[in-house]
Amino acid sequence: MRLRMTIMAALAALAGSVALYPLFSGRTWFWSGLGAVAVVAAAGLATRHFRWPAVFGAVGGLAALHLYLTARFTASEAFLGVVPTPESLRRLGELTREGWDAANRYAAPVPPVPGILLLAVGGIGLVAVLVDLLAVRLRRAAPAGLPLLAMYSVPAAVREDSVSWVAFGVGALGYLALLAADNHEQVGGWGHLVFRSADAPARPDTGVMAAAGRRIGVAAVAVAVLIPAVTPGIHSRGMFGMGSGGGRGGTQTVTTPDPLVSLKRELTRQDDLLVLRYRSNDTDRPDYLRLYSLDRFDGDRWTYSSLQSTARDRLSDRRLPDPPGLSSVPARQVTTRITVQRQVRDMSFLPVPYAPSRVSIEGDWRVHAPSLMIYSLRDSAGGRSYTVTSIRARPTASQLRLAGRTPTELYNRYTFVPERIPREVRRLAHEVTAGAATAYDQAVMLQRWFTQTGGFQYDLTAQPPQRGSDLVDFLINNKRGYCEQFAASMALLARILGIPARVAMGYTPGTQVTPGVWEVRTRDAHAWPELYFEGAGWVRFEPTPSGAAGQGTAATPDYSEPTVSSSSASTQEEESGPTETSPEASASASPSATAQRQDDLGAQAGTGGERSGDGAPVGWIIGVLLALLLLAAPMAARHVTRRLRWAGVTSRSGGAPSDPGEAAHAAWREMRADALDHGLEWRPSDTPRAAARRLGELLELDAPASQALGRIAHAEELARYAPSRPQTPPETLRADVRTVREAIAASVGRRARLRARLLPASTMGSVGSVTRAVGGRLADAASRVEAAFRRLPSRRAR
Amino acid sequence: MAVGTHGESYMRAPTGSGEPASADRPSPLRPSAPADRDGDGPDLDGLAQVAHKIRDAIESVIEGKPDVVRLALTVLLAEGHLLIEDVPGVGKTMLAKALARSVDCSVRRVQFTPDLLPSDITGVSAYNQELREFEFKPGPVFANIVVGDEINRASPKTQSALLECMEERQVTVDGVTYPLERPFMVISTQNPVEMEGTYPLPEAQRDRFTARISMGYPSPAAELEMLDTHGQSSPLDRLTPVADAADVRALIEVVRRQHVSPAVRQYAIDLVTATRNHPDLRLGASPRATLHLVRAARAYAALDDRDYVLPDDIQDLAVPVLAHRLLPTAEAQVERRRPEHVVTELVNRLPVPSSGK
Repeated sequence: MRLRMTIMAALAALAGSVALYPLFSGRTWFWSGLGAVAVVAAAGLATRHFRWPAVFGAVGGLAALHLYLTARFTASEAFLGVVPTPESLRRLGELTREGWDAANRYAAPVPPVPGILLLAVGGIGLVAVLVDLLAVRLRRAAPAGLPLLAMYSVPAAVREDSVSWVAFGVGALGYLALLAADNHEQVGGWGHLVFRSADAPARPDTGVMAAAGRRIGVAAVAVAVLIPAVTPGIHSRGMFGMGSGGGRGGTQTVTTPDPLVSLKRELTRQDDLLVLRYRSNDTDRPDYLRLYSLDRFDGDRWTYSSLQSTARDRLSDRRLPDPPGLSSVPARQVTTRITVQRQVRDMSFLPVPYAPSRVSIEGDWRVHAPSLMIYSLRDSAGGRSYTVTSIRARPTASQLRLAGRTPTELYNRYTFVPERIPREVRRLAHEVTAGAATAYDQAVMLQRWFTQTGGFQYDLTAQPPQRGSDLVDFLINNKRGYCEQFAASMALLARILGIPARVAMGYTPGTQVTPGVWEVRTRDAHAWPELYFEGAGWVRFEPTPSGAAGQGTAATPDYSEPTVSSSSASTQEEESGPTETSPEASASASPSATAQRQDDLGAQAGTGGERSGDGAPVGWIIGVLLALLLLAAPMAARHVTRRLRWAGVTSRSGGAPSDPGEAAHAAWREMRADALDHGLEWRPSDTPRAAARRLGELLELDAPASQALGRIAHAEELARYAPSRPQTPPETLRADVRTVREAIAASVGRRARLRARLLPASTMGSVGSVTRAVGGRLADAASRVEAAFRRLPSRRAR
Repeated sequence: MAVGTHGESYMRAPTGSGEPASADRPSPLRPSAPADRDGDGPDLDGLAQVAHKIRDAIESVIEGKPDVVRLALTVLLAEGHLLIEDVPGVGKTMLAKALARSVDCSVRRVQFTPDLLPSDITGVSAYNQELREFEFKPGPVFANIVVGDEINRASPKTQSALLECMEERQVTVDGVTYPLERPFMVISTQNPVEMEGTYPLPEAQRDRFTARISMGYPSPAAELEMLDTHGQSSPLDRLTPVADAADVRALIEVVRRQHVSPAVRQYAIDLVTATRNHPDLRLGASPRATLHLVRAARAYAALDDRDYVLPDDIQDLAVPVLAHRLLPTAEAQVERRRPEHVVTELVNRLPVPSSGK
């Protein structure tokens, strides 16, 4: 009967659709999807009832889906609320377009606007049609997994944090249940088995096979869920998700996770891997290499607004848009040839010195005009070499102090501070900068407060700021943090003071290896605030302590150096000087100091294959220790059992009258374990002397060993079956066991010897039985669930 | 009829030719047997001596078959009956006669033919003209060792006449029961049932034989040796008895006191039970088979100079003791799966009891 299969197919489609949950906010989509699946299933049942060909089954399903969508979304235009009319069709088209646009506009999770809902429900319904067609109509349950997988892959592609394992488990179990039901039916379809005995059941006994299948299924799902969770290094981290399929040249929404989230992740990397190497013609110390510009502060974290990317944004070796605001300040052109290491993965934003004016690189790279971020939708910078021509502004303190009025639009955009920033933070901003005459003086005082007077301490063990309250805590209470906190806080305080500010992330210039050639390593990852001054554009500040007690290769820009607001004269003097060399910069950190601080732009710049999870070194050490412990466990277990066996015998024989029978049993069991360890066969039907004879023949033992073997066997025989007790003392037996063990080890191959030592089969056997027991219990649980499932549809069917 | 009393007198004077010739011949067993009722060490040693003598005597006739000889002796010491099955001319009768002759006791030989009557075996009551009453003339079963040659050539009726004697060690004729002397052992030879002119033994009778053995062809070397010796004179003629009936009775007593640990008993029961549940078998082994198995194992262990029984003994005896009692199913017969194979498979499969408790 196909009713059960129909229902299972519908359930599988529904279970698969659970995986879509991260894409939508609210639950409306699920219930609408449920309706679509139900309608499709009903249509499938109907076409099968009338025995229409398979093609009509699919067409019928699609038609039913269309009716459902019409009724659900365009009831007012449709005839009788159900029958499609030209108007309803047009409305559906409009909605589809709307949904498409909305999908492009919003990052997941998207609000359930009708258009989006239509797309979602239509998609789920389409999958249901396909699953129904494949699994029920064509009786090919296995390929029905493909549409389900397609549904699952949508959120996996869009969301960085992927789908939770629960949703995955539900989907996988739904699919497995479908397979199980299908096979149950196929086996049942073979009819009666020919049984020897008369009382054969009417249907073939599928219990055994089903149990095996369930075991395998549950084990597979469990492995799929557990292994990635415990394996270091496998973390889903897509840089972009594609909001929706991009039409050629159309607008694409680039949603990225905000990079600050993952700042902490690779913070404690032990290995300081090379990220990129570059050659710069800058006469001074080169400028920072910027990856991101985070322009949006939502009260908790800094992120960047989603990028609207069009084909027009392609670099295609043209001149990039001018950097905003840079007009009156002297600037010079710098050319940098950058080679990113091949191992670097997922670096879809290019590290470039600000402000790039021309970038020559292969591949589809685009520029975000307002921030001048260079990014790609599909390429990664790993292994690429590219040349960047950038304009390096060289403002002086006086120029900055005399900066003009910021354009209103830019001002509004970059000084936005969410309402819920507490009053004490706002007050703090003003207190710190009390007495400053200009925005520039305020900025300098902020920087000084962070680096010198504020009592802040650079501390990599601090938790990454997740919420606004973390930043408040950093500013007011514990004052311990790393570049992330410093940069975020300074940008926030600057905004409070009305200075347009954003947070940049990227790399410090790194270390010069040969004249003109610099190397940037994962530890040089950094975050810093950029403040806007009309005329000079976006100007970098450095609130993070640099040098040995701070960010190793960070450097405070010269223009920010004047210590007090009144020292305009001193800044004037420096006007002509080289801009970027500062005392701190030359004091590049000692290795031990740098070892502690790495920032975490490695989020994507971290060299690829070796990326680990959180808390890298400690986690790794613990992991390695655990692994070693696991490896050593069988060996240790073997030693412990050996010791226990003999201990039981000798302790009894020590004071109290010894029982030689116990000793004989111990010796026998020990020898059996040894034989098993070395991969020798041990038959349960062997009597002691038969076993000894077989071992002796198998191994071609020499005389002393075979005598020892005979003694052990004889003692065991006596202990087991004879009225008298064996006379062999335990010490002799123990020596005999050792002799036999050595003889066995000498006669087997090296591999068997090694395995006997590392993975003794005698202990592995008990481990195996334990795992079998656990597996059996799991399978039982699964079968109960399955039975519950099975009861469910059959009740519905009636 | 007052046959019984007369029968008794006949019973006391067995007519067999093998009346112990040297009753006072020094035996290693007799002096020690009464004294050592509680310790079986000396008994066992004595048994070993006597048993080895018997074995050597038989082996001087039957060359190159130590296993067969040992099994035959085992059956003798286990108070059982032996069925020797093989093609003609491999020495079945020779083995039976050698065993009988090496023990100095009464031996009777019955050649089974299709026209043999039950009374030809058990004996008849005949009218004595002088005494004017019936007197019982005992048949050939009234002996310590009865050699039944080609037993499957007799009609089932005659075969059944042996039933009572074998199991209950007594003969009932005309309502009077005559007990048989101990030891009493029936050694039968038979040709494989596929051969011409044979009646297969009924299951009930097969079950009464402790063991069935087959001789097998001798090895070429043994056959050559046989040619040499048989060319001059029959080795049977040179065979002199090495023990007498009393010795054998003492030996049987020793065997009875052999230690069988509970584990071994359980093993025997497991093995027999397994034959009852085996899909290839229509009829499994009977409880009598269990009894015979353990009894034979005791004797087998004693012949190995042991005073305790090992699972090895059970394993060695499983096929000879069990196989001839099993009836394969029709499918197994068609597929030529013989009971011997089934028993061997079971022996290889059943786990040996590991604990002595």
